[in-house]
Amino acid sequence: MIDKNIPIKAEDSASLILDLIYQLKIKDVMSRDLVVACAQDTLHHIKTLMKQRNVTGIPIVKKDRLLGILSIDDIFKALDNGYMDELAEKYMSKKLVILEEDMPLAFAISYFDKFKYGRFPVVDKDNLLVGMITSRDINVGLLMAINKEVSRMEEMLAQNAPVDAKNFRKVFRIRKYDFEHAGIASNRIKKLLTERKHDPRDIRRVAVAMYEMEINITVHSEGGTLTVAIDQDRAEIVAKDAAPGIENPELALQEGYSTANEWIKSLGFGAGMGLANIRRVSDEFEFQSSLGKGTTVRAVIYFKNKKGEEHDH
Amino acid sequence: MTIKDLTRCAQLKLVQEDFDDAVITGGYTSDLLSDVMAHAAADNVLITIQAHINTIAVAKLVGIRALIIANDREILEDMAQAAKKERIAIFCSTLNQFDLSVLIGQLLAKDHAR
Amino acid sequence: MKGDTLIKELDCEILYRRKEGGTKDLRSFIASDLMSDVLLVDNEIDILITSLSTAQAIRTADIVSAIGVVIVNGKPVSADMKAAAKEFDITLLRTKLSTFQTCGIIHRLKEHAA
Repeated sequence: MIDKNIPIKAEDSASLILDLIYQLKIKDVMSRDLVVACAQDTLHHIKTLMKQRNVTGIPIVKKDRLLGILSIDDIFKALDNGYMDELAEKYMSKKLVILEEDMPLAFAISYFDKFKYGRFPVVDKDNLLVGMITSRDINVGLLMAINKEVSRMEEMLAQNAPVDAKNFRKVFRIRKYDFEHAGIASNRIKKLLTERKHDPRDIRRVAVAMYEMEINITVHSEGGTLTVAIDQDRAEIVAKDAAPGIENPELALQEGYSTANEWIKSLGFGAGMGLANIRRVSDEFEFQSSLGKGTTVRAVIYFKNKKGEEHDH
Repeated sequence: MTIKDLTRCAQLKLVQEDFDDAVITGGYTSDLLSDVMAHAAADNVLITIQAHINTIAVAKLVGIRALIIANDREILEDMAQAAKKERIAIFCSTLNQFDLSVLIGQLLAKDHAR
Repeated sequence: MKGDTLIKELDCEILYRRKEGGTKDLRSFIASDLMSDVLLVDNEIDILITSLSTAQAIRTADIVSAIGVVIVNGKPVSADMKAAAKEFDITLLRTKLSTFQTCGIIHRLKEHAA
């Protein structure tokens, strides 16, 4: 079921596709079910093969090594000129444009744009033929990847469904090194709590804990999620990332301990205060991490102070 | 004013005392070491929360003879050792960067008026 | 102290002025380049003085409910930062003075106001 709230906006979807065409490799979408022929096969044999297997181009190989390609155009020419009994090696095109399986999908797309062929052979790093790629393969591959992404977003939406007006739950996805957006989720939650007229001191504690978690995921992990659940009495924030985890969790809790590099420090982070800061503002604090398994930080802040009047700022 | 004069200031606690005295004519406040490298002068006292051995390396590079660690940050042994080797004074303070800047500014102004 | 006094005395360039700019009496200032350090502060903050000229400084200012950010050393400010200032409606100023000098001047202005 497609929900009208699925967070794909024009600008986001474009960037999603851009992400995908660089994330996906040619080997993820190419067809491996190869229909090949030998140099000594006749054009007649190849025509039959094309018809049987419903393909419009056939690589001509010798022990997985690519010699040339015969396309349906070559067959039409042979039919017109009556040389269907001649051998493939004479008429196959030998000027080959080849893609490698580990190239990003974006390469294949630009190849289709640049060269006017309907298909490209794909070779592995030993230069052996491993697949073929057509624009149809690209479309199918992209659609499947987008589908997966949409299901993931739907799942997130389901988690985000408000229980009732008083209870709020939302999952934010945080990306590695995305300093452009790091902190925005915290700013949003702060705004929400301000609108709900919570006490500024409580708001600040929630915002500080969440902000540090957001920065931690941005700086130290391969990306992760922040789950925020707010009811009348408390806010619970859970930060979860999949990798790489922390080798020495005890040390990480110490003030001033930091593994951040100079580049991150130049952005004003990585002073080694993050976890200590979260613990300081939280009423409940849990921290689990192990190398290779990722990190989970859970903080709960009780709304101790009565809801304040309008914020004085 | 020299570094020795700073030792008489109640808000500053000398934590690395093996230093060569030197004249202080200004202050520089920053937590970004690259910024310190670019802008601080040798006769400045450096005010920072970067209680880190790298801070000593930068101080040495710029020629800074004294630094004050703000917000009572703990100074680790390797930092103290490095400073001792370079004969750079380290002070600690419970004050923050803003108040330390004001304090040093006032001490310098008083000294100047004398 | 009002914002206009601050702008005049620090010879600030106004990069963004919040909608209700100039109305609040400014009392509480913090100087830091490390945003975690800013988040550590429990009391109210009106103005953040920093050399960190990125959108993160604005987002941090918003978290602690500051209403203005002063960028020191005349540092170039990214378009992102200006956009964030507008989004969170936080006044963004830039002075050529250093953090050390800025703190000293603000302190004198505060004393004068009191």
